[in-house]
Amino acid sequence: MPPKSKAATKPSKSLFPPTNPTTTTTTSIQTTSSSEPSTEPTTVLERSQQRYEKTRPFEAARQKQGGSSKLSKEDQKGWICDQLLHLTNRLPQASRSRLLGPKASKEIWWTINGTNSIDRGLTKKPKPHSTWGTDRNGHDVGSYTIERFDERIKKRTALTALLVSSRVFRENVEREKRGDLDARSGCPVIVTEREIDDERVRRSKMAALKKELYGEITGKLAGSVEWEDVVPIPHEEPEGALAAIAYPADYAEAMSYLRAVMATKEYSHRCLRLTQHIIAMNPAHYTVWLYRAACIFALKLSIPDEIEWLNEVALANLKNYQIWHHRHLLVEHYYPTIASDPEALAQFAKQERDFLIAILSEDTKNYHVWSYRSWLVGKLGMWEDQEELKSIEALIDEDVRNNSAWSHRFFLVFSNPEYSTPGKGATEADPKCPQHIVDREVQYAQQKTYLAPQNQSPWNYMRGVLVKGGQKLASVHAFVEEFVVKLGDETGEEIRSTHALDLLAEIYAEKGETEKADLCLRRLADKWDKIRAGYWNWRRQCLQSEKKAGPEQPGEEVTVA
Amino acid sequence: MVVRTKGARGRNRAIFIRKFPRQKGGNMATSNSLLPTDSQQQQNLDAITDDDFEYVDEEFVSSNLTPEEQQPAPKLGPMIPELFKQPPLVKDGLVTDTSNLQDQTVEQCLPFLTGEDGPLKLNAYGLPNLNREKHIKFLKQSLGPLPGRFVAVDASRPWYLYWCLSGLTMMGEDVSSYRENIIDTARTMQNESGGFGGGHGQMSHLATSYAVILAIALVGGEEAYDVIDRKGMWRWLCSLKQPDGGFQVCVGGEEDIRGAYIASVIITLLDLPLDLTPDSPAYDGGRSNLLTGIAEYVRSCQTFEGGISSQPNNEAHGAYAFCALACLSILDNPRRIIPSYLDLPRLVSWLSYRQYAPEGGFSGRTNKLVDGCYSHWAGGCFPLIEACLSPSGPNSSDDKKTSTGLAAAPESLYSREGLIRYIMCCCQDQTKRGGLRDKPYKMSDPYHTCYVLSGLSSAQHQWDLDSDPLPLGPGETTPTMAALGADSVWNVFPYIDDNDQIYDDSDRVRPIHPAYAIPQKNVNGIRGYFQGRGFA
Repeated sequence: MPPKSKAATKPSKSLFPPTNPTTTTTTSIQTTSSSEPSTEPTTVLERSQQRYEKTRPFEAARQKQGGSSKLSKEDQKGWICDQLLHLTNRLPQASRSRLLGPKASKEIWWTINGTNSIDRGLTKKPKPHSTWGTDRNGHDVGSYTIERFDERIKKRTALTALLVSSRVFRENVEREKRGDLDARSGCPVIVTEREIDDERVRRSKMAALKKELYGEITGKLAGSVEWEDVVPIPHEEPEGALAAIAYPADYAEAMSYLRAVMATKEYSHRCLRLTQHIIAMNPAHYTVWLYRAACIFALKLSIPDEIEWLNEVALANLKNYQIWHHRHLLVEHYYPTIASDPEALAQFAKQERDFLIAILSEDTKNYHVWSYRSWLVGKLGMWEDQEELKSIEALIDEDVRNNSAWSHRFFLVFSNPEYSTPGKGATEADPKCPQHIVDREVQYAQQKTYLAPQNQSPWNYMRGVLVKGGQKLASVHAFVEEFVVKLGDETGEEIRSTHALDLLAEIYAEKGETEKADLCLRRLADKWDKIRAGYWNWRRQCLQSEKKAGPEQPGEEVTVA
Repeated sequence: MVVRTKGARGRNRAIFIRKFPRQKGGNMATSNSLLPTDSQQQQNLDAITDDDFEYVDEEFVSSNLTPEEQQPAPKLGPMIPELFKQPPLVKDGLVTDTSNLQDQTVEQCLPFLTGEDGPLKLNAYGLPNLNREKHIKFLKQSLGPLPGRFVAVDASRPWYLYWCLSGLTMMGEDVSSYRENIIDTARTMQNESGGFGGGHGQMSHLATSYAVILAIALVGGEEAYDVIDRKGMWRWLCSLKQPDGGFQVCVGGEEDIRGAYIASVIITLLDLPLDLTPDSPAYDGGRSNLLTGIAEYVRSCQTFEGGISSQPNNEAHGAYAFCALACLSILDNPRRIIPSYLDLPRLVSWLSYRQYAPEGGFSGRTNKLVDGCYSHWAGGCFPLIEACLSPSGPNSSDDKKTSTGLAAAPESLYSREGLIRYIMCCCQDQTKRGGLRDKPYKMSDPYHTCYVLSGLSSAQHQWDLDSDPLPLGPGETTPTMAALGADSVWNVFPYIDDNDQIYDDSDRVRPIHPAYAIPQKNVNGIRGYFQGRGFA
């Protein structure tokens, strides 16, 4: 900037020599702007830019020329006046006159008026993106055509009108709650059904407009009349949080309402619907499930209805386990109401079993379903229920390798309080266990073993039964031998089941025939089951140490001096 | 099967075609027809329809592979024992859903085990290297931010912290740079009433508390430790303690053996007082404390098969076996407490049967399939089992016999080679995704990445328990004044195989404590900080 102009920018009362207003009309700006044909604007941005140029011709010229030094002397003067005017316009009236004094102000106005500027409203040059913002697709609204822009303005006006009506409605709801009287009629304020319906329509219109104009998605709950009074607690997490999830809008909203109702310990029907809404989006949410159970108990809702609803959810989410704890809680709660009625109890047990059969047919080894099932047997006392045993047998018939079914059978038979001693370990003998049960179960396991001798489930089962019944393993020696042919004979040796060989080793050890036991284990380690060589070799060492120790049983507790 | 085509920008593009149709119910075609021979492959390609196969199109960055390296196997063929190359010797003819799935799994694993599957560089033993770089990248990505579909794991976010940081630590990464982030994240998960939930506004849960506390221990530092509201934690644990000795996983939640394990971990890592608050469900006027009856509860979960179930009377399951053994090993010296409360010979038998051939990996239950995560849950039991089967202390007269009366464990009770083969060949996702997985054709995820690496770590190391049981108080069967097992001194060594080591030295991952599942120094760091500290 030349020193002259620099000095000129300093506000001073004697900045300009008195000028004849008529001379200013001959500035070059005046000439250039009138000589240029004004093109019709196509976008909002263009239109505003043109307006800006018209209202601030000096500034526009300076920007076009690339600096105030490039302007003619007259235009420079006009530009300085323009700048001063805009600068001082921002100040309060009192300081404005103190800064310039009445005389200088008058001169400035004279100069400006001389340029015939139309409007002095636009202080900032309109810029793309920042002036109008962006629409829902991220496009600059400034790039809209005039028609399209007018259309948008109309919609915005409509939205504003709706917002106002909606606020009136909400105020009325508040007044009704407070029991206020209507100013005109003197009657209590009542929000009618029709008004609520109108508000619903209004809200959906508002949501549609907000989405169209700003891309704002109004959640189902924020837009719903029902959730009017709840102030949601939004998800809070600092920026650097790890494993942060970009929650879908619906989920984030529902969770913020859940936080709010949980904070006030609200148990209501709307909360129940909220839990259902969240469970549909994330069934693995343990907090929601527990809250749901609390709602059901607080509202004293029908447990059978809830179980019916739960059946659907369970079938749709086979791997989910929160569902099964929820069911557990429901039954715990429901049981006392039917405990004294054997018929109702039997009916309920049947219903539960029917559902369990259905769900297990989808996923036969589902751990959580089986856990629930064993708990249910104990809770409802289904020990003598022949249908339970039959249904397990059906599953074993379908797939004899279903170890979950075998495990359940062991529980059903040997945890029956009728013939079991509480507190006995699962691998301990129980003197209360009747012989006929042991015989029956050993026989059952043996029958099933023939179907597929390498299937470990019935072997484990049979061994478990023998131990529980306090029987010697040797009592099944002959049966086990059937699966082991010419042991140790390099050419003719035939093993139909490595589990038979394992048990045979134990039987020989039990009989004190250590050499034979060792042979079984050696053949397992060297040929038939090499993956477990480390284990078989350890068993061989155990045989030796047992032999040294004499008849003393292994696994005895150590007493510390 | 891999079809090589020329991809964009001159890079080789490998199109993987799933050899097996997606499982549809149980109606698999007979297994033989599923594996086309090499000569058939090209012909079959034309006949493949999209309905039958899933294409997994992955761009392979092959620039770092020289043409020789792309050879599937060295000329002489790698040294792979027959055990891992063919189906088991004894097999039944009867076909059921279980046998179908098992046969299918064996067929899916065999090409990976024999190195016939891909363009990977294999060592002399037929093993690919641990793809550290990709697995590290996978875990770092899993620390977020995560897209919206991860909403399903919204209640498990703390697990992501532990799985990822633990996996990174095992692979040698320094995770202390995550300290600030862990502090910020953990704060939003902590509840005023004590404990950590899955996220802001979620109820406190033992599983999520365990994961957060271990993540805090992994990043270390006093600032991180101080996030934990110990007093609140203690009160909350008291509210979960049940009269039968176990713990509910959250207020109103289920009681299971995870609860018992996690509570033991938390009590000892934070050095919490053992007294029960009067409003605890287990309060009985001061006779019982937080540790009372835990061992009895664990014992009630052993099943007739010898394994451990989640709750009394359920099926034996690998994950719970680890919880049981680790829990007991925290309460007292494993040499004393494990044989006193569990039928050890039965447990060892059941655990050993979890390992399958030819796969080499572990299954979780009888007649179920191998899954990489059981490398930790079942495989990780062996250091604890081997500890109680080790000759007791330096003063012991007989080094062949243990205090249990059973023989001392040999060098290894299970096939470390089998497990390492399964992990290296079958569990690594070799596409650009990285990470470790359940089994071939499954997606990798942080859960499997963490626990497969934990299993690899335990297979590569040997743990020696250097302390004899400390004397108990008069009339005690388990320590009641302190969890004595937490003070056990463990020494770790790289496991040296008598035969050749099948994996490259560079593929050894770091050891983790056999009960706390984080490195020993992190256990000592957090315990040391809280030890003897009252409540502020």
